[in-house]
Amino acid sequence: MLNTFKDIVRKSSIHVCLVNCGGCNGCDIEIVALLSPRYDLEQYGIYVHNNPREADVILITGAVTEQWIKKIKRIYSKAPEPKVVACVGNCPLSGDVFNQEGGNVHAPVSDFICVDAEISGCPPRPSEILEAILTVAPGAIASRGREANGKNKKNQVTGGK
Amino acid sequence: MILPIGPIHPGLKEPLRLKLQTQGEKVLKAEIDYGYVHRGIERIMEGKTWQKCIYLAERVCGICSYEHTQTFAETIEKISNVRAPSRAQFLRTITNELDRIQSHLLANSTYFKAMEHETLFMYLLSVREHIMDAIELLTGNRVNMGWNVVGGVRMDAKQVHLDAILEKLKDVEKDLDRYVQIFEQGHLVGLRSKDVGVMTRDEALKGRAVGPIGRASGLKHDLREQHHTYRENFEFKPIWRKEGDNFARTMNRFDEIPQSIDLVRQAINNLPDGDIRTKVEIGSGYVEWRNEAPRGEVVYMAETNGNLIKHISIRTPSIMNIDSCAKYMLKDVATVADAVATYATADPCIACAERVAIIDVDKGETSKDIFDLK
Repeated sequence: MLNTFKDIVRKSSIHVCLVNCGGCNGCDIEIVALLSPRYDLEQYGIYVHNNPREADVILITGAVTEQWIKKIKRIYSKAPEPKVVACVGNCPLSGDVFNQEGGNVHAPVSDFICVDAEISGCPPRPSEILEAILTVAPGAIASRGREANGKNKKNQVTGGK
Repeated sequence: MILPIGPIHPGLKEPLRLKLQTQGEKVLKAEIDYGYVHRGIERIMEGKTWQKCIYLAERVCGICSYEHTQTFAETIEKISNVRAPSRAQFLRTITNELDRIQSHLLANSTYFKAMEHETLFMYLLSVREHIMDAIELLTGNRVNMGWNVVGGVRMDAKQVHLDAILEKLKDVEKDLDRYVQIFEQGHLVGLRSKDVGVMTRDEALKGRAVGPIGRASGLKHDLREQHHTYRENFEFKPIWRKEGDNFARTMNRFDEIPQSIDLVRQAINNLPDGDIRTKVEIGSGYVEWRNEAPRGEVVYMAETNGNLIKHISIRTPSIMNIDSCAKYMLKDVATVADAVATYATADPCIACAERVAIIDVDKGETSKDIFDLK
């Protein structure tokens, strides 16, 4: 009973944190475009908050630059436990055009943290980003929350600290 | 007390650390840390042909990506002593102005988000989607368009598309008038922005402010006046204001949108027939080329050796604007909330601003040649 109730709550209120770890900010403005009335992210219960401590979904854009190698792990560990990581754009997947001789990037992001969803494109269309969040996030967050609840109740508490 | 903001913060879209020195709620001064998005674009470009570099130039910045490709293409054209055909120049103008409109709308909507006025934020984003549609119709992409090549543009525009763009501009103009009035005459929004974050003309000169930020402080300087396409074919006068506060900067951007719409109309109505691309034999030499990006002056200094690029140096407007924002605008601001809003009016684009310079603190010397190339 409690689990079903928690599932409903988790599925219908998703907080998103946007982390730009060294891209051209083309993907970031497509995520901002998601807030516009045409795509209306908030009708699905998704709220872009930019605060890792409250995040359920971490959206990562950009190839990882030197400064972000340690920080990306710290941000990941600060997000509370049922969490999903989605990579937006080609940069976090392969480094895109920056991953050449002379470039200062350490792509892919999956070397540093676990990644659940990958959205390719330079940049992907807003509708694709929205589709990816909606396909992966609610189900994954709910099932992970259940797992954590069943195995070890401490997980949820310690995750936030 | 020092209040750090960023690199990940609800108020910022891009990584940057803003250190505010506060006394109570009052912000005395601010300091800025860069370096989170340095990717080494200039270094990657060295020793490559322009076909590979133009994609990199596009990805210097996502918001004003178009202007970077145009400036890069015109730099190489200048080295090779050719000019794009006049139809290509007109098509470039159309895309450039559409890009400027969407960038200004995004900048203003970010400001309204920073000062917690969500209604105008949503209104402006919904207007911006019309412009994004127009850009997509013309070039095929929303953000990184891949539309410029050295010697012209990649695709020709059909009359159907141009008519559709004119229709969309009508919609935009109709909506935008109302939104500008909401801001200009609304007591809640307009008055809150007046006399906040003031930068005088002298300070703007000292801080090397460019673009709408400099123009709002009384620096009447727009590089489009000197550009050959605008000088020969279009009627154009720069828009500027004297006040130099948040209100002036936002209104300056709002005023430039109808002007850009007018320029798009002029270009579409007088669009000449002919080729869209000429053959270019890349020459050798060194050229410095300036253009007016949505945020101000962007400079490409390139040296080519036959077909290959020997050395390139890119200067974007953001670095000067963010610097002058930290030094002069964020000085004696009444509250922290106003400081964040003031920072948003400077239209910061961090992805543009990342260049490497090594500073020897003991000697006070600055060196950009980090790989000992020369």
